[in-house]
Amino acid sequence: MPVIKSIIRLNDLDTNFVDEVIETGSEVFGEEIPKTIMACMQCGRCSGSCPSGRRTAFRTRKIYREVVLGFREKVLSSDELWYCTTCYTCQERCPRGVKTTEIIRILRNIAAKEGYMSKSHKMAAGHVFRTGHAVAINEEIQNVREELGLSRLPPTTHSHPEALAKLQDILRKTHFDELVGFDWETMELKEV
Amino acid sequence: MEEKTYACFLGCVIPNRYPGIELSTVKMLRELGVESVDMPGAGCCPAPGVFGSFDLKTWLALAARNICIAEELGCDIMTMCNGCYGSLQEADHLLKGDPLLKDKVNEILAPEMEYKGTINVKHQVEIFTDDIGIERIKEAITMPLDGLRVGVHYGCHFLKPSAVRGHGKAERPGMVDALVEVTGAKSVEYKDKMMCCGFGGGVRTRDIEVALDITKEKITNMLDAGVDCTVNPCASCHLQFDRGQVEIEHIFGDRFNLPVLYYSQLLGLAMGHDPRELGMHKQNIPTDPVLDKVEGLK
Amino acid sequence: MNIGVYVCHCGTNIAGVIDVEKVTEYATTLDGVVVARNYKYMCSDPGKDLIRSDIKENNLDRVVVAACSPTMHEKTYRDVMEEMGGNPFLFEMANIREQDSWVHTDKDMATEKAYDLVRMAVAKVRRNEPLERIEIPVTQRALIIGGGVAGMEASLDLAEQGYEVIMVEKEQSIGGHMSQLTKTFPTLDCPMCILAPKMALHEHKNITIYSFSEIEEVSGYVGNFEVSIRKKAKSVIEDLCNGCGLCQEKCPTKVLSVYDGKLGTRKAIYTLFPQAVPRIPVLDRENCLMFTKGTCGVCKKVCPTDAIDYDQQDEIITEKVGAIIVATGYAEYDPTPIEEYGYGRYKNVLTGLQFERLTNASGPTLGVLKRPSDGATPKRFAFIQCVGSRDVNTQEYCSKVCCMYTVKNARLLRDEHPESEVYIFYTDVRSAGKGYEEFYKISQEKGVKFIRGRVSEVVGLPDDNLLLRTEDTLTGDVYEVEVDMAILACALLPAEGSDKLRDILKISEGTDGFFMEAHPKLRPVDTLTDGIYLAGCAQGPRDIADTVVHAKGAASGASVLISHTKMSLDPISAYSDESVCRGCGECKLVCQFGAIEIEPLNGRLIAKVNEVLCKGCGACVGACCNGAMSIRHFKDEQINSMIEAAMEVA
Ligand SMILES: Cc1cc2nc3c(=O)[nH]c(=O)nc-3n(C[C@H](O)[C@H](O)[C@H](O)COP(=O)(O)OP(=O)(O)OC[C@H]3O[C@@H](n4cnc5c(N)ncnc54)[C@H](O)[C@@H]3O)c2cc1C
Ligand code: SF4
Ligand code: SF4
Repeated sequence: MPVIKSIIRLNDLDTNFVDEVIETGSEVFGEEIPKTIMACMQCGRCSGSCPSGRRTAFRTRKIYREVVLGFREKVLSSDELWYCTTCYTCQERCPRGVKTTEIIRILRNIAAKEGYMSKSHKMAAGHVFRTGHAVAINEEIQNVREELGLSRLPPTTHSHPEALAKLQDILRKTHFDELVGFDWETMELKEV
Repeated sequence: MEEKTYACFLGCVIPNRYPGIELSTVKMLRELGVESVDMPGAGCCPAPGVFGSFDLKTWLALAARNICIAEELGCDIMTMCNGCYGSLQEADHLLKGDPLLKDKVNEILAPEMEYKGTINVKHQVEIFTDDIGIERIKEAITMPLDGLRVGVHYGCHFLKPSAVRGHGKAERPGMVDALVEVTGAKSVEYKDKMMCCGFGGGVRTRDIEVALDITKEKITNMLDAGVDCTVNPCASCHLQFDRGQVEIEHIFGDRFNLPVLYYSQLLGLAMGHDPRELGMHKQNIPTDPVLDKVEGLK
Repeated sequence: MNIGVYVCHCGTNIAGVIDVEKVTEYATTLDGVVVARNYKYMCSDPGKDLIRSDIKENNLDRVVVAACSPTMHEKTYRDVMEEMGGNPFLFEMANIREQDSWVHTDKDMATEKAYDLVRMAVAKVRRNEPLERIEIPVTQRALIIGGGVAGMEASLDLAEQGYEVIMVEKEQSIGGHMSQLTKTFPTLDCPMCILAPKMALHEHKNITIYSFSEIEEVSGYVGNFEVSIRKKAKSVIEDLCNGCGLCQEKCPTKVLSVYDGKLGTRKAIYTLFPQAVPRIPVLDRENCLMFTKGTCGVCKKVCPTDAIDYDQQDEIITEKVGAIIVATGYAEYDPTPIEEYGYGRYKNVLTGLQFERLTNASGPTLGVLKRPSDGATPKRFAFIQCVGSRDVNTQEYCSKVCCMYTVKNARLLRDEHPESEVYIFYTDVRSAGKGYEEFYKISQEKGVKFIRGRVSEVVGLPDDNLLLRTEDTLTGDVYEVEVDMAILACALLPAEGSDKLRDILKISEGTDGFFMEAHPKLRPVDTLTDGIYLAGCAQGPRDIADTVVHAKGAASGASVLISHTKMSLDPISAYSDESVCRGCGECKLVCQFGAIEIEPLNGRLIAKVNEVLCKGCGACVGACCNGAMSIRHFKDEQINSMIEAAMEVA
């Protein structure tokens, strides 16, 4: 049986999406960087440069096109959006000066807000809430450190509770706890 | 050379997974006349492609907090990981260039902390290259590694985005190769040398197969060119190659055993140090083949 | 004094923002104004008729038109004045378009600003004085800089009209880039075959060629330029040399040939190519053993006419011309900085021009296809488009000719080597031109594979083959393609030395670096410097057909000028009041155009202005501490009256 699909009506797409992207990106980068997406000429130099795209369905070029046309849901929900290693090869080479990698980061910010942050990412974030480190110390490494003549705990948030408290205060202020779903009572992720 | 003291930024991977990197870097720099001091209470940089992907504002505020600690010390920051360098350097760049953004971040940091923009963020490679200089390193080499074939891996965030980093075009850089070659080792040309290791952007955390497939390709390319080991200037890449080989074997079944050295470990060997002083025995992939070759050179 | 004021609507350009009725009404209240009108298009015939009839009926002697910029239409209305027997300098324009309606949105304020501008123009015209135009002689000869197809075409057109032409070519032969090509799109003619008849121009009685020569200095002005030309030493006495070629045959020194894209060698004494014009060889002193080691002398020994002269010196020649045509062409972009394509690192990555030489019957391999790395016959080819073009990191513009020349070369490969795999990696195929789209279609039918994607990188493989990576944006797949040779369609850049020439000629360049035309649409062959014209790629990338058209345009522009024996100039120049001037010479010091001389008059010194050289810039007026210097048509009292009028409130 052939699959019957209904035709896409461009008019029905979310034409404000690209403005949303530019606005979101402007908060940290200023307007100039996110706005470069408007100049993409779909040449594909980015996709061909991409180490992830070479082995997956991730096509940087296609994402910019879909953003400009307004495929909001499709872009934000796609797994491919998360395959970028932020190696910046595409951004360096883009002949139209599109800040490709930054735009991927901006899109991921919006996707995260829309609930598309993966569990594994939330768990990594959870370590930062608890320890100030995304990769935290463990018993084994403490022993290694000692063996090498270093302090068992590094001079970081691991051994400075007041600094950790400050860091946690920042995470509250930026509402990162809400984004990740971190429970300050249990010091665990809410869903887990 | 002007004597200089840096604020040593550790990040996460170095103190909590590869303390040998910290050990060897601090030691080699000291022997070459560069001092470094701890940054008490520093934390995750946080990874620009990971936390920057979740929420740029949180990323920026956490990075700014780290910079503030160094500002208190009155020292420029020394980083040993491209991720840490990328994060802190980019944050510093953005905040120095946009006073309104700086105000916003300072609101978050208040009342105890304030980002002022008084220091700079440096990569270890810059310190070796610019502060110390190739000539001075050359004088310190007591055990030339002539004959050792090295696959240099630069990593991405040390050089890119080049418009922000300011070290020139990133397609064919030479800085790390020069640092490697001054030890007597040969930096071997190999396919896709400037390709990413696969670690970044949160791919390792979320889709490890994609990340490792990239790592595997790089390792294969290096081995095809006949290298004895790979040398990197980045703790994250280091983890991806070293720990990654264990994971590759687990997931894909390929076993490579390519020794992974951090730059200051390689330099340490050339400066006559015992590999144990450089933490080389505390890694996943044995570095013995390199040591054997070096031993053979003696 | 009867002044007429005419307010133009310029369609809605002006009337859409400014209330033209009110401005007209306001104008009638101004001192001296006897009639004021408005009209939809003042510059149209009916518009001009309004002015004409008012001059007659209302005895107007002075006119103000409130419309666009004087650079657009001042001449139009001055001509009307003149034609009606008036003096063209008793006229003023108030620019209420560019300086008002186009830059403001508030209609009331814009209308008020129009009042101010009209009031100022009326104040000025009241004080204007009738002036006579200056007549100058015209030298009826032309200088052509550059002997490519553009320079040749322009030279022939002018020479055939009977004008003497001086051609200066920096290389030792004329011919330009066209002489390097193998075939030409879209007809696949042999370029040398169609060029040869034009190159015969050196036999034309009206054309003098200075080859291996450069422009040293240009002075003078439209109709009367004086040019000094450096004729570099060829170390060959041109009058004696018969072009037999024995010297280059016997010369023992081989040097990489730039003309052949460094894919082959030439001798230290050499002509560029077999059909070179003139056929005189040039001795390359940087590589000749006589100059590097002090011994050899083979060429001198073998020359049957004793034409070799190791001591020859550069010569400086001066020529007087009325018009100059700049036809310096282009240079191919060196793609080394785009490191990811590996040019300069991988031997089998070539530029477009190198490929032309490699396939050229008189090229380094005599037209036999061989890879530079190992001499093997390549079978798989990748053409990479837009290298250094359409890229904000290098040149932002499209180089216009590369799509078509690539299609040409790809098609020729399929024609002559049907077994070869030929890919073109493109961003867009731009095939606008007569017969071009058809040419593109034929190349597809011949089996050239077009892949829409800008190549991301070229990876060198151990066997000197090349691995390309690209996305096929039409399928969304990322491909790797292994080829034996990659050809980069490199951007066209302004010719080397264009900056220097720009300064010598005092012409300008656009943001793309090419010489700038006076108007992109309406004056594409003129420069902003009167008497200097542009032809061919000197103004921007274009193919041969467009180059020829452009060159003919430039020749036509130049002949309009030099067909006259005399021309008239605006009398807007500085002059000194001899009764006040003390001859201190401050003005002479500041004049950039060398228009002022200090001369004796009745036992004292005074400044004297050469009205033709004077550009009316006013620098001397500011420098004079005695108030002796003035500019006609822009005298202090004329300008002051405008300032006063500006301060008044409507
Ligand atoms: C690879 C390639 C293939 C092409 N194939 C085709 C084709 O098939 N068909 C087609 O229609 N077009 C083709 N073109 C375009 C074609 O080359 C140009 O249209 C044509 O050469 C332009 O002629 P020109 O006289 O303006 O410039 P040029 O050919 O560049 O000639 C300029 C001349 O001026 C001289 N000169 C430069 N500076 C000075 C100076 N300061 N003083 C004195 N002399 C100076 C130069 O030495 C040169 O002789 C191709 C271009 C390239 C790069
Ligand atoms: S390289 Fe730049 S212009 Fe080309 S498709 Fe990618 S983002 Fe668009
Ligand atoms: S002519 Fe074609 S290949 Fe050349 S720059 Fe323009 S689009 Fe690119």
